[in-house]
Amino acid sequence: MPQFARINRRSLAYRVLGGVALLAVVLAGGVAAAKPRDLNISLDRPSDRGVFRVRIQSQVAPIPLSRVHPWTVHLTDQAGLPVSGAVIAIDGGMPEHHHGLPTAPRAASAATPGDYLISGMKFSMTGWWVLNLSIKAPDGRTDRITFNMVL
Amino acid sequence: MGATLATALALVAAAEPTWSAADLKTLRGLWIGALKPPPPDPSNKVADNAKAADLGRALFSDTGLSANGQVSCASCHQPGHAFTDALPTGHGVGTGNRRTMPIAPAVYSPWQFWDGRADSLWAQALGPVENPAEHGFSRTEVARVLAARYSDAYERLFGPLPDLADRNRFPLRAAPGGDPAAKAAWEGMSDADQILINRVYANFGKAVAAYERTLKIRPSRFDAYLAGVFGAPDPHARLSPDELAGLRLFIGKGQCANCHNGPLLSNHGFANTGVPAHPDLPRDLGRAAGVRAAVADPFNCKGVYSDAPAGCEELEFAVIDNPGQVRAYKVPSLRGVGQRAPYMHAGQFSSLEQVVDHYSRAPRAPDGASEIKPLRLSADERRQIVAFLRTLDEQPAPSPHG
Ligand code: HEC
Ligand code: HEC
Repeated sequence: MPQFARINRRSLAYRVLGGVALLAVVLAGGVAAAKPRDLNISLDRPSDRGVFRVRIQSQVAPIPLSRVHPWTVHLTDQAGLPVSGAVIAIDGGMPEHHHGLPTAPRAASAATPGDYLISGMKFSMTGWWVLNLSIKAPDGRTDRITFNMVL
Repeated sequence: MGATLATALALVAAAEPTWSAADLKTLRGLWIGALKPPPPDPSNKVADNAKAADLGRALFSDTGLSANGQVSCASCHQPGHAFTDALPTGHGVGTGNRRTMPIAPAVYSPWQFWDGRADSLWAQALGPVENPAEHGFSRTEVARVLAARYSDAYERLFGPLPDLADRNRFPLRAAPGGDPAAKAAWEGMSDADQILINRVYANFGKAVAAYERTLKIRPSRFDAYLAGVFGAPDPHARLSPDELAGLRLFIGKGQCANCHNGPLLSNHGFANTGVPAHPDLPRDLGRAAGVRAAVADPFNCKGVYSDAPAGCEELEFAVIDNPGQVRAYKVPSLRGVGQRAPYMHAGQFSSLEQVVDHYSRAPRAPDGASEIKPLRLSADERRQIVAFLRTLDEQPAPSPHG
């Protein structure tokens, strides 16, 4: 049953983000998902329920292949105020090939308000990758966001 | 006349397939032309030192580095046999639990062994030496061989060897994971002496790794065909209709390129593909256990014997405790695969036909969950994939050390 719940939540996220229905089972096993034609590849977007606005950026441009490299996150709330001290969990992978990330990246607070550093990111091949951030602010507000990248 | 011309044109069209833009992108990724020089190894300061490679080459085929004086790295990794041994599981002083892997592609991989339990080539090289089924040797014996026969080359690279004359301080045969006597001898040594020996042992691995880094991947007929696809002037190799159909299946319906991608036809990851467990071997958890061993290995990138000043990010950010790692094994390079049967981590399949049949059926994994789904390939399709895999045979080496 928990498996089923997870699938539903992901499918919901995809419906909201990509405007595409029935992209269930992604990364949760099962049939590989095809890349939707209108994939939202913006890296600066409101989170799923609009609790936060999240901007992510690779610190190495262009995004390198098969090399561990850092990213940054900038987190604000609906009013545009920076949110510091949040706990951010990261996972992701390649929906079309149903495998996860090749590394286990971690986010940590940076010195400036609303800024975080993600260390340990790596993409092992070209294609469509998703990055899921689960965000928990110090005041208890939580939300998730799925970013899409095509390398 | 017109009809003959049309038939002739149709035949040409059949022989020269059209690839979509997406196909071409995938094919360009598989081409050997996309292979970059090996990534640097900051944990090994002699990784690209030619003198270290010379020393490493000698050590690689030195049977004096074994318990019975008969086993060297080259006994199993035979240069004339794509650096493998044609056996289901490696055979040295005894018989092991895993199949011998080719060496040349390993330099591109962040993790060594089928389960990735070493995070560098030099840390890897230390494993077989003390493995009772392989060299059955010990690190104090390695230090003595280096002192007796390689001291000049060694000391020019790494500085003075410790004086090993005192057998109370440096027992003849001492290893932390060896047989009970070797283990007891190791435990009897002082911490400082253990570190002295470990340093020599690590340097042995670093020289061997420097040699392994010089081994080249040789192009195949597939690469010559791709050169033509990407516009190289004639003459370039052609693939037969079966081989082309097999290639199309490989990057299409067969989904092989999900894992076997990039110029080595490997994504350097780990996957559970439901390969049956060998009935006579102990339970094997694959990557799930391998990553833990790598993190605990005193010779890893973060350990005191590493030359890396910082970094070690593959280790630092390694995926641990993921259920998908149970019975996941390293995705092997498929270059030269037709020349080195048998297949899989314990030589479970003796032919490429059996391998492709496995992918077609995709049985349940004996442990963990298989990532592959049944492809239900026809007999023709299976034959075509095998025909394609054989186009990956490496062209003959120009010299024994190619
Ligand atoms: C008895 C046969 C045998 C001997 C001797 C042997 N190996 Fe191996 N080698 C193997 C087997 C079997 C594996 C896979 C082991 C595993 O995954 O547990 C392997 C794996 C490797 C790999 C990993 C390749 C990859 O892609 O992960 C390298 C590199 C390697 N050996 C180098 C060496 C070196 C260097 C020596 C000598 C110091 C050596 N081997 C001695 C059988 C042998
Ligand atoms: C999910 C990733 C994945 C996919 C998809 C995949 N492979 Fe593999 N392949 C592997 C892994 C992992 C191994 C080693 C498994 C083991 O030893 O247990 C392997 C082993 C092999 C081998 C044996 C190589 C050797 O040295 O032992 C061949 C040949 C092969 N695959 C061909 C194919 C073909 C053909 C396809 C498509 C029909 C395919 N693979 C699809 C991951 C994959």
